[in-house]
Amino acid sequence: MTNVLTMGTRGEKRRAATAAARRRARSARPPWDEPPTAVGQAAKGLTLGGMLAVILVPLYIIVLTSFSTPGAINRAGGLVIWPDGLTTETYRQMLSDSTIITALGVSLGITVVGTAVSMAVSVLCAYGLSRPRSLGHRFVLLLLIITMFISGGLIPSFLVVTGLGGYGQWWALILPSAVSVFNILVLRAFYQETSSELIDAARMDGAGEWRILWSVVLPTSRAVTAVTALFYAVGYWNSFFNVMLYMPTDSEKWPLQYVLLTYVNRANGLPGSVNSGFGQTHAQTAPLSLQMAVVVLTLVPLVIVYPFVQKHLRTGVLTGAIKG
Amino acid sequence: MRSGLNRRSFLTTAATVAGAAAMAPLLSACGGGSDKKAAANTKEGLKAALPAYVPNANAVKPDIASVQGAGDAATDPAYLSYPASPPTSVSGVPGKGGSYTAITPLWGTAPPVGNSFYQAMNKALGVELTVKPTDGINYNTIIPTMTAAKKLPDWINLPSWLNSNFNTGGLVGTQLADLTPYLSGDNIKKYPNLAALPTGAWQHGVWGDKLYGIPCFSTGFGIPGATFYRRDILEARGITADQIKSADDLMNLGKELTDAKRGVWAFDDVWTYLQFAWNVPMKWRVDNGKLVHPFETQEFLEALDWHNRLATSGYMHPDALAGDVSNGSTRFYSGKTLIGGGGLGAWNLSDQQSGAAADPNYRRGAFNAITADGKGTPVIYMGAAASMISYLNAGLKPAQIEELLAVANYLAAPYGTAEYTMVNYGVEGVHHTRVNGAPTFTEEGKKDVQVTTYSFLAASGSVISNPGGEQVTRDYAGWSAANVKYLTKPPFWGMNLSMPQAIASADAAQNVNDTIKDCYHGKKKVSDVQDAIASWRSGPGERLKQWMTDNVLNKYGTGQ
Amino acid sequence: MSTAAPKRPAGPARLTWRTRLRRDKSLLLMTVPAVVLLLVFNYVPLFGIVTAFQEYDPLVGVWHSEWVGFDQFQQLFGDPAFWASMKNTLYLSFVQLVLFFPIPIALALLLNSVVSERIRNFFQSVVYLPHFFSWVLAVTIFQQMLGGAGVLNQFLRQHDIGTWDIMTNPHTFALLVTSQAIWKEAGWGIIVFLAALSAINSELYEAAAADGAGRLRRMWHITLPGLRGVIVLMLVLRLGNALSVGFEQFLVQRDAVGHEAADVLDTFSFYYGIATGGYSYGAAAGLFKSVVSLLLIWGANKLAHAFGEDGLYRR
Repeated sequence: MTNVLTMGTRGEKRRAATAAARRRARSARPPWDEPPTAVGQAAKGLTLGGMLAVILVPLYIIVLTSFSTPGAINRAGGLVIWPDGLTTETYRQMLSDSTIITALGVSLGITVVGTAVSMAVSVLCAYGLSRPRSLGHRFVLLLLIITMFISGGLIPSFLVVTGLGGYGQWWALILPSAVSVFNILVLRAFYQETSSELIDAARMDGAGEWRILWSVVLPTSRAVTAVTALFYAVGYWNSFFNVMLYMPTDSEKWPLQYVLLTYVNRANGLPGSVNSGFGQTHAQTAPLSLQMAVVVLTLVPLVIVYPFVQKHLRTGVLTGAIKG
Repeated sequence: MRSGLNRRSFLTTAATVAGAAAMAPLLSACGGGSDKKAAANTKEGLKAALPAYVPNANAVKPDIASVQGAGDAATDPAYLSYPASPPTSVSGVPGKGGSYTAITPLWGTAPPVGNSFYQAMNKALGVELTVKPTDGINYNTIIPTMTAAKKLPDWINLPSWLNSNFNTGGLVGTQLADLTPYLSGDNIKKYPNLAALPTGAWQHGVWGDKLYGIPCFSTGFGIPGATFYRRDILEARGITADQIKSADDLMNLGKELTDAKRGVWAFDDVWTYLQFAWNVPMKWRVDNGKLVHPFETQEFLEALDWHNRLATSGYMHPDALAGDVSNGSTRFYSGKTLIGGGGLGAWNLSDQQSGAAADPNYRRGAFNAITADGKGTPVIYMGAAASMISYLNAGLKPAQIEELLAVANYLAAPYGTAEYTMVNYGVEGVHHTRVNGAPTFTEEGKKDVQVTTYSFLAASGSVISNPGGEQVTRDYAGWSAANVKYLTKPPFWGMNLSMPQAIASADAAQNVNDTIKDCYHGKKKVSDVQDAIASWRSGPGERLKQWMTDNVLNKYGTGQ
Repeated sequence: MSTAAPKRPAGPARLTWRTRLRRDKSLLLMTVPAVVLLLVFNYVPLFGIVTAFQEYDPLVGVWHSEWVGFDQFQQLFGDPAFWASMKNTLYLSFVQLVLFFPIPIALALLLNSVVSERIRNFFQSVVYLPHFFSWVLAVTIFQQMLGGAGVLNQFLRQHDIGTWDIMTNPHTFALLVTSQAIWKEAGWGIIVFLAALSAINSELYEAAAADGAGRLRRMWHITLPGLRGVIVLMLVLRLGNALSVGFEQFLVQRDAVGHEAADVLDTFSFYYGIATGGYSYGAAAGLFKSVVSLLLIWGANKLAHAFGEDGLYRR
């Protein structure tokens, strides 16, 4: 336990001690914390357990439905609650589709490049606005905030992007949505909290704003960096509307979400009264299982990536203390 | 904060649809000319633009022949088997090696680019045709963006129910090619398979007295839909369709069939297709030379009253009352609802297979058209004779247009011919094999062949054919034959009207239609609807009627 | 956060514009990329607003449509359906503010107090998932559980207990949509607060504990002040967004409870504007909403200042 207590001091063995402390901090109650009361524990358990249940049950239903046979779904008359007939056919069919692989690459590319661009722009802007009483920051803030509430609409935006030659271009999927004012405001709120002693110390050492951002602010705010990067990445990963606007007919340029959407859309079928000629070909898979498989497939990357973000949510302080 | 985080949340089908609808008409602003087109076609102009009709001598004889109704109404011919050795209807290769791109809507997953089916088709057609099947659900957003960016392909399908989104009336002539010189009158005889398409279908491709569109899947039986029932379950209880002769009979069925404790309700939503039993006009009726809107009729209120009683009777499935339409068909398959309205597109082999997967006895049936009081002759209003229409790009040279029309002629080969087999099933041995005589896709065929890819550019008239599902074909053909005599063209049928925006908004009557929906879902009284109608009539309704009278009725008549 | 750096102790008044520019030019430079992107992709398209003052007709386009001045607004303010949707929006906004807003904060605090890393991680990696469901799916799940033919009501029906009509009852709709929102978004909403919690220096807790401060006092004097910046930011944005309570959620459930209960400003602009060809009418409603939202965020910020907070920008 002494390791934890010496955390704040700057001893020789700091590095080794920190590692041990971090290990311990993960599992153990801090020594200064009081033991919990039984009632408190029970209430806490009930709340968390209840929330888990209301989310896990639907998740179970979604996963089950995605693995259900057409017969099971049609007998259930909707989402399947009790296992009836199980099959992996839905997934086999989707994952054997060669377009999925191309689409996966496209999605990864857009997400990585887009997130990088967005983070660069946002971190810079947020820091640029975070120093108290800097010149013009109120005006720039105002400029940003206004865009959160007022917009010319989809069509004028489309015309501007097309006018700049964006039709069919990758950048049309990234640049128009690269700036999220919300994310900038969140980053800024955290940067404002950055210990001013650290910044002043750096400034005394002759560091300019760029250097302060890079070696003081960024290292001490890894949690918020991770969170905003997550927000951006999720946004890029899931976006499909821009694809529909700017490259609707080039199926080799479609990201995963858009390809998956076409699976869902198949379920909706043809409107109108056209009868013969359709629907007699690939109709073996129950649409609902496809839809749910799509939901599951979109959750998988999140489940994979989230722990990495989560790590930063926990260890922000300790690493901050070291680097600071 | 939620809105901040949610800004780009995904898989939001409804939002997409909403966004799409939001987008489409506005965008067309940028593509079309700024001059207003004629509101409709004149009788003489239409006649001059329309192609001659020459039935196809090469067509395979149907097993159940078409039954004629009044006017142009006729049932689709039905086939119980596929010809063992398909005859050819086109000699030689239609194309001359030109390169083109084509876009058709696809409700499904796009096949891999440059796949073996596309290659085989290009070889058969003699052209380099790059087909780009494009998401059908969002088609109404995608096409206006293309017209705005001036990126229309050489050949494109524009479904007629989206004409107002696309502003097709504004695109013809400026971005879409005039085909009148190539196809009108006897000119079409150069393309025998196109000449065999019925005249009524071509009418939907005529704008301002000129022919622009090529109809796909034309039919003489284009009706909105019917009231379906679970034939297996009802017959097991001794109920047959011919016992249902009036609205009261239906209501009694509700009582007999509903068993809420077992989770069975007799009815799903039936409003849309059942209101005609009260002889509610479709859009307009002409009484003594004056236009009458459905909202102004007593029949409409009576129909609404019955549906309101149905909604509050406890015979309707709660999910249907909650407006959940997406699970309507699975409710039907699972036997949780036994009667429901729907489009005729639902009546096919895949429906039979889906239903049978839940219940081996599954059989779909449809009630014959009835009148609410059980007296007099029922009426079914006809919809479009073709709703999938393809157009050529105005930038094409005459020789190119002729080449593509020759390709269209190939694609429009009738059922059972060698060309039809190629377009619909690909190459035998590669994309399909014969199982019990019926062409059946191989694994490669399932991936590469999307039936609508080429058929939405041009196709022969609709047929009823469900290889491997003979009963479905017989049921559907039988029902069509029994009801074709009730088919009636509504006023202004097939006139391709173009309305100015303010009139279109008045026509949409959002507030009235919302209240109507709440009424047939049991949440509002008929008197509430009457109030909503009264305030609509005094303003937008009056303007709508005036415009229709001045610009359509008095100028062009009712089109009949 | 309010202590100014020693190099810049004075208020703006004491320094000349030039001095400040020289001092802050790198800060300003940093904002340039974001500002340029917003100018091009957000400000230039603002020309679309003119349609609110026209009788916009797509057949003739933006530049040729009839100019009608404030007619659309006049019609809007005389439309009972508009005021009904306004009333719904404000009511729902209030309910969400009271019932929904505090929940992610409370959950984050609760989660933070869980000692076991394993439980914490598991909980965290489950509760955020519903955020990624579409509203169509979320409502389908609710319908299947609580709907008239859902699991609960079939159980009640089979035991003759009567049924519970929550999914189609217009009177309890506000509670329904708020609980749906909590179910779907609360888990995602905690992420920002967890990040803020992780930024609090644990030495502070240690010191406070050494001074004999109990759990509640530590939360009051350390945790909450640590979260304050983020909470105020979220609250100000929430107030500014008071007229945005959701769109798709209402679209999906509109038929279930009827349009009178379900129409909010955004669905109003959709149904009475865009969806039925009244583009200018919808644009007018949208512009009205934008202007009110800007006023609201300005007011919320003033309010924050009144409570001694910075809000979005300093006084």
